[in-house]
Amino acid sequence: MAEFTASVFQNEFLSDGATDVHAIVTVTVAGAGQAGQGQGMAAGEIIIVDTSGSMTGENLGAAKHAASVAVDQILDGTWFAVISGTDTAARAFPYPNARLPMVQMEPGARAAAKQAIAAFQPSGGTAMGTWLTLARELFQATPQATQRHAILLTDGKNEHESAQALSQAIYNATGVFQCDARGVGSRWQVDELRQIATALLGTVDLIAKPADMAADFESIIKQSMGRGVASADLRVWAPQGSEVLFVRQVAPTVEDLTTRKTMVNPLTGSYPTGSWGDESRDYHVAVRVASKPVGSEQLAARVQLTVRDEVVASGLVKARWSNDDALTARIDPAVAHYTGQTELASAIQDGLAAKAAGDAATATVKLGRAVQLAAETGNDEATAKLRKVVEIDDANEGTVRLRRDVAKLDEMALDTASTKTTRVRK
Amino acid sequence: MSDAPDEIAETSLPTPESVQPESTPQPPAEAEAAAEAPAPAALVVCPACATVNDPDAKYCEECGTQLGELVEVSADRDTADDAPAEADEATSSTAAPRRACVYCGGSIADDGYCELCGKPAQSERDHWQEAPAAWVGGVCDRGIRHEINEDAMALAADPQVGEFAVLVVCDGVSSTPGSDKASLAAARAATAILEAGRVTDLADGHGDEYAQARWSGRMLEAGERASAAIYEAIGELAARTNPPSCTFAAAVIDGPLVVVGGVGDSRVYWIADEGKSRQLTTDDSWSQEMMAHGMSRQQAENAPQAHSITRWLGADSPDEVPHVVPTYPTGAGWILVCSDGLWNYCSDADDLSQLVHRVVGSVGTNPVQVASALVDWANEQGGQDNITAALARFDSVVPTSARPA
Repeated sequence: MAEFTASVFQNEFLSDGATDVHAIVTVTVAGAGQAGQGQGMAAGEIIIVDTSGSMTGENLGAAKHAASVAVDQILDGTWFAVISGTDTAARAFPYPNARLPMVQMEPGARAAAKQAIAAFQPSGGTAMGTWLTLARELFQATPQATQRHAILLTDGKNEHESAQALSQAIYNATGVFQCDARGVGSRWQVDELRQIATALLGTVDLIAKPADMAADFESIIKQSMGRGVASADLRVWAPQGSEVLFVRQVAPTVEDLTTRKTMVNPLTGSYPTGSWGDESRDYHVAVRVASKPVGSEQLAARVQLTVRDEVVASGLVKARWSNDDALTARIDPAVAHYTGQTELASAIQDGLAAKAAGDAATATVKLGRAVQLAAETGNDEATAKLRKVVEIDDANEGTVRLRRDVAKLDEMALDTASTKTTRVRK
Repeated sequence: MSDAPDEIAETSLPTPESVQPESTPQPPAEAEAAAEAPAPAALVVCPACATVNDPDAKYCEECGTQLGELVEVSADRDTADDAPAEADEATSSTAAPRRACVYCGGSIADDGYCELCGKPAQSERDHWQEAPAAWVGGVCDRGIRHEINEDAMALAADPQVGEFAVLVVCDGVSSTPGSDKASLAAARAATAILEAGRVTDLADGHGDEYAQARWSGRMLEAGERASAAIYEAIGELAARTNPPSCTFAAAVIDGPLVVVGGVGDSRVYWIADEGKSRQLTTDDSWSQEMMAHGMSRQQAENAPQAHSITRWLGADSPDEVPHVVPTYPTGAGWILVCSDGLWNYCSDADDLSQLVHRVVGSVGTNPVQVASALVDWANEQGGQDNITAALARFDSVVPTSARPA
């Protein structure tokens, strides 16, 4: 049986007249078990590989190998399919003329799928919306697969489809399946894959060397197979008359969940969080309540994890008004850390955008601030990636100089990694 | 017991009208007198720490002692004695009704906070009232600034107006943790002793010439018993450097005679309908001593040391003997026993008298409503401390059965 816990980190003391309450809620799942093991639940996996004309030689070879490795990781009994994507989408396995939209994994299917993968030929353009749409159709035609996940690999821009078409396909797929997106080489667009991953509750990352692809695919599928909790929602209740300022996931990656909210009742918002394995995620919740007299106490928020509409973990975010400065001036270390991490992510993305637009001055200021925050919060991975894009003169002050010849890959690596956070040191 | 859950659902404040202190068995006459008012909500008193608990509580919310085997205290004497454990089982097996939030009326969730406004569920100790008879009532409230209510009160009265009443208020010293246990135990023990001291049959038919002396003795005994009860309630906290302690202010009304006793700075006032009102007790406090030396009340009560008390009940008390004052008030008025949470905002007897008359003018003469309005007024002034106000209507011309012919 899966065990769920929610821990709240906050300074509950507010000074006289203060209204904003911030808290970090750490939700941990243990004993989740494997995907598809719950009663009446089966998992579904789709592997989507870019087979457009640009996927030549090394890239396609690595992609075929990685897709095979992924097929090996899919557990017996899981419903699966393989899609080869170009400017249209084609189902490579089950074979195009097969009766069933997806089949359950077993040794024969595994072997046949690998054969189909080995037969990939590069040709055509790139229209990822069509790939997502086919995946959605396959999943919807296989209702017995209730926990759905896909992995998508591309090497280039979405040239053969309008931005609206891609957005529409993403919108239609939202809530149907989760998707982790990967880009290989330097010609794909980070924001296109980020758009897919954010809406489909997955991660986006860059594969620097084709040889790394197999290991990455293996870990993604393994992680997906290890998610025994098919679907959980984060629910945030705030009292009447208050306002939820934002709800963000802040670890392991930064995601602003505020736009995903659906109201369960007038006081409670629900945010989908996808499937969970044995893992821990941190959320930053901010609520504005009406100020009360010193000495009063009330709840600012209830933060809960629900599985199939049942509350499995609950954390209470409190507000207590005090005129003791020693109590009210403190900022909880977790809140301070993640506020910094969120600012770090924005600073990196704004800095890179400014640089791409030719605004060197803004880019220097923003990336300088990013370097400063990364140093303060001990985010060494971010610092290392920033170093490839700027010369760091003084990390503590945030004085940097833009490098002249930055490898495109290094910039993309910084961009994709911008939303990865470090956990607060306890 | 069957109507008890309905009572709870209707009103968020169960009224412990017939709560009996657990330490002293009551002779039937006193018990009947004290428990006369219909009390559908039967509350369970913890034997270890004297905390009032919900009727369907199995464990004391304060100290965790199991409550199941206790006889439930109820005005309904028939059901109280037979199979109390089973009665407890029956109520706990049915779903306990959701408590209503006292601030907004929403329901309290399982986590102890309101589902609508987020305020914490008020513990019964935060605000409660007692009305042992129609002419005696009191309200005990946490105030605004303090986190817990360390004030306590215990009231008892004969239903016959003016016949007999006991009003005790104890204010836990807030600089010592555990004082809330001390004050509740002390108040209940004192009231029990004072109630038991009532003499109803005077065989020779003459007036009781020895009433003053008798009650003085009783008052001293009440102080002793209250102190002993504190020891029992606080257990090992007594060994601390600052053991729990509380004040003590008591008024006994026995026909025309009013006997007051006090230790500390909770007070008893005589509030006359017409004529001069006066403070009947004398504070054991720094400001009182300054006033005795000639300092003005205004200066003494606003000095930084104003709230230091010189005597109290508790393990480290220098002197626990109540200062006793018997008196025969003339005319009609109120006996008001209150903690400093009230008189801090209105110390002078004349000022307090004006306040009480104003309140009576607007809410009427029901003592619980008057007490409630006084508590509300104190909270409006800032509610810096816990507030208790207990009132008994007194009229020297009302004939009582115990008077000499």
